[in-house]
Amino acid sequence: MRVTLGRLRHRGTGPRPARIRRDGRGSSLVLMPAGVLIVLVLASIAVDMSVVHLRKRQALDLAAAAANDAATAGADPAALREGAFRLDPAAARRVVLRTVAASELAPDLAAAPVVRVTAAGVEVTLAVEAEYVFAGVMPGAPDGAVVTATASASAASSPSP
Amino acid sequence: MGTTAGGGRAGVRRRDEGAVRGGRGGRDRDDRGLMGGIEALPFGLLIFVVGTLLAANAYAVVAAKSATDAAARAATRQFVEAPVVDAAGARAAEAEAVVTGLEALVADGRDPDRASVALTGLVAPGRSGPAYVRCARATFTATYRVPALTLPWIGGYGSAFEVRSSHSELVDPFRDGVPGEARSCG
Repeated sequence: MRVTLGRLRHRGTGPRPARIRRDGRGSSLVLMPAGVLIVLVLASIAVDMSVVHLRKRQALDLAAAAANDAATAGADPAALREGAFRLDPAAARRVVLRTVAASELAPDLAAAPVVRVTAAGVEVTLAVEAEYVFAGVMPGAPDGAVVTATASASAASSPSP
Repeated sequence: MGTTAGGGRAGVRRRDEGAVRGGRGGRDRDDRGLMGGIEALPFGLLIFVVGTLLAANAYAVVAAKSATDAAARAATRQFVEAPVVDAAGARAAEAEAVVTGLEALVADGRDPDRASVALTGLVAPGRSGPAYVRCARATFTATYRVPALTLPWIGGYGSAFEVRSSHSELVDPFRDGVPGEARSCG
């Protein structure tokens, strides 16, 4: 791009402007900070998405551990003595709550754990808050997201040796 | 930069200041105005380098947290499913669980010298001290020191952050060969 300002009409009382020619050389210097900013924003988005993915994995691990504990520790002892396996919903829920309370994710729970006891086993659903690292500094952007994870477990007798 | 003063004084300035004659456009170049924006280049480079290191370190912490989560979970699972009949068996099971946790970290590409896996809790219901019994809650904690600066193919330097993860599970109440009562679980 070539712009010649030397022929512009001079107005006012100041000295006559010098004749200046401009072209596109050096414009990459102006674009470089914008490019760097874009790269950094994309990197921060990638890190924040990794945090969300990490939280989802943690929630899934915790839900699986809680369901696994509840599937055995929540069994009804009276039914076991009769040779049947039956989960006690109240006991299963207590076990899940204890397991979740013992976890490092307990302060980040967005809602109470949902425990569903079926004939086959127990299903645990957790909702955990994931706080963004970088998005919080941008005005209007959310500070975090809520991820949910569901895991189920059932008990089975081990095969006889 | 790259401006040419018009009028008759331009020729005088060229001679006096030794300006370099331009190319096809007949433009003259000299160093005038250079210091008026040159600080933007190192400053921008600094922002780029520091910003890249910040994002890379943040991701390194997230990745290390994922690795320690897996290590703590693997160690806990190994411990609560181990065949334990007495206190000596419990100590052997703890040692095996620690090895399992460290192996999980190595499998994730982590340096085992920067990591530690330990049994941080073994709460037995109805007992004052730790004991490997039915329904005991075992907690393993995995720790990894994230390097302050990680360079490709070279390695990491320093220890900026310590990432810690813990995982707990119950010893299976209905397993064979484990002391204790199952009714204390619920």
